[in-house]
Amino acid sequence: MSDLQSVPLTGTPPEGIRRIRIPQKLRNLEFWLLLVACFINAAAIVLVQLGALGRVDTQLVLLGAGLSFLVFGLHIAMRYTARDADPFLLPIATVLNGLGIAMIYRIDIAEGDAGWESAAVRQIVWSAIAIICAIATILVIRNHRVLFRYTYLAGLLAIVLLLLPLVPGLGREVYGARVWIGIGDIATFQPGEIAKIALAVFFAGYLVRNRDSLSMVGTKFLGMQFPRARDLGPLLIVWALSMAVIVFQRDLGTALLYFGLFLVMLYVATSRLSWVVLGLSLFIGGAIIASQTLDYVGNRFANWLDPFSDDRFSAEIGGSYQLVQGLFGLANGGLIGTGWGQGRPDLTPVPQSDYIIASLGEELGLAGIFAILALYLLFVARGFRIGFAGQDDFGKLLGVGLAFVVALQVFIVVGGVTRVIPLTGLTTPFLAAGGSSLVANWIIVALLLRLSDTVRNHPRLVIDG
Amino acid sequence: MSELTLLVLQLGFLLLLWVFVFAIVYALRSDLFGQRVRKLRPETASAAPAPAAPAAASAFPSAPVAAPAAATAPVSHAAASGGGTGELASSENATRLVITSGTKNGAEFPLGHDEITIGRSSDSAIIIRDDYTSTHHARLMQWNGRWMLQDLDSTNGTFLNGSRVTVPTPIPLGATVKVGATTFELRR
Repeated sequence: MSDLQSVPLTGTPPEGIRRIRIPQKLRNLEFWLLLVACFINAAAIVLVQLGALGRVDTQLVLLGAGLSFLVFGLHIAMRYTARDADPFLLPIATVLNGLGIAMIYRIDIAEGDAGWESAAVRQIVWSAIAIICAIATILVIRNHRVLFRYTYLAGLLAIVLLLLPLVPGLGREVYGARVWIGIGDIATFQPGEIAKIALAVFFAGYLVRNRDSLSMVGTKFLGMQFPRARDLGPLLIVWALSMAVIVFQRDLGTALLYFGLFLVMLYVATSRLSWVVLGLSLFIGGAIIASQTLDYVGNRFANWLDPFSDDRFSAEIGGSYQLVQGLFGLANGGLIGTGWGQGRPDLTPVPQSDYIIASLGEELGLAGIFAILALYLLFVARGFRIGFAGQDDFGKLLGVGLAFVVALQVFIVVGGVTRVIPLTGLTTPFLAAGGSSLVANWIIVALLLRLSDTVRNHPRLVIDG
Repeated sequence: MSELTLLVLQLGFLLLLWVFVFAIVYALRSDLFGQRVRKLRPETASAAPAPAAPAAASAFPSAPVAAPAAATAPVSHAAASGGGTGELASSENATRLVITSGTKNGAEFPLGHDEITIGRSSDSAIIIRDDYTSTHHARLMQWNGRWMLQDLDSTNGTFLNGSRVTVPTPIPLGATVKVGATTFELRR
């Protein structure tokens, strides 16, 4: 941001004042954007009620207003502890979260759920928990370099979180994927969502410590410098880990997410394309073998290639019914959508979590979907910008990693729904129903805010020899 | 609710969503398209006294630079030999510190009016973590507006154009300063 306007060019500044600070300029900008964001969210809920019920019901609007208070709580916390943080991340996350709640509420109305049965009420409660987690993160982590100390602890935490759903008695299987944990029937949680943050911290710390051996040596082949065989260890370990996720947890999307995250951070740390070539060929090879041997992966590929054939559409297990219904929904939406509460997104299975993009596409149309994608684009661009402006290598890598994990997740979900890539079950960040995803993504917001504050606050240079 | 009302409301909502997107893009414009160059108005330029111009000096790198007085440095044996333009770096003519070798080759650090500490400790302005740098290795400070390099009793020494610095020494523009495995120079 330009500081020029407020530096007086005439007159001598008083002795001892070296730098005149603009009081909370960024936070004031954030405040106004947040007001607009909260208005959009309230408007979405009211429009859902007008469209689907034909009247305004104040109860849910009040619940949403409670959420706005929490968001402003985060804003106030930043006024005191992170005054130079990026002003755009919080409003964008708020709008996405609110649009998600409105769409989940709309599907509740269609399915006749109310009270604690209602997914929207649960989503609001989870959003509250997630925003409180974000506030706690901002207050506890005053400098991101603290995380550098816990690199290997973060790696261990990620492995433990990944293994939790496989523990007998604790793990729960939902739609065939074993990525949930729960106590009894309540409090189902996807630890893999939190694991992606721990993995980003671990990869960043590990790569800063070891990138010299990964980037300096190697043999040239086909115009690219390939690493030595003994330096392939980390890549092979992460590859084996994601293959294990595919085989044991039966979750293609999560595996792709983790592996893509590692590959991109490796590329950013070493700036060598050969890692990407090697990694992608490993993953594609693994995925092709998986599609031949594992039923559920094979079904996904078949649905992707030929969803409209009769036997795929009407298949009892692993058919393309959901994919096709989603595509019909998007087509029904057209350019400006059917309007909040006037489409039939509830015809698609799980319209509030995996398929919320198709539901939003039906009711808001192409114009709405593109606005949502533009918001994601801005969010990710801010994250990359924070990484780019970072002074220390750990902060740079962490910023890029956290932003990329959001970008990749959006790509995997939206690409799956729109039949660009095979459909895999991942949550759309901030939008989809699901507590663990909300908590994880709000913590990512908090970490990016903290990173951006440190970057702006200390004009320092760190040289790691 | 009539169909028409709902349609108008829907269009209004989509418009609002896009207004929000473009509001953010508008606020970001300096990031996306670079900062606007502001022309210095002649009356303010003449009114601004030289010591009050640190912000102006960094904002307008093409502003005419007052030639430093021909005063000779108290100790200039190191400055006399080796690279550099010979013109001593001062708050007037040096605006940035550029790393010229090591892992951060090409990185820049803005020069203000504060002294710049260099060392391994995390409270230094320039933190160098390698095996050759001491905890508090050296510092750059200003004496009468001139940038001076002082070695803080480091184990492996601080070098200006290849010779070891023992007493606070003025730095010529473009002269190579070596701390541990890292070298840097002061530039306009």
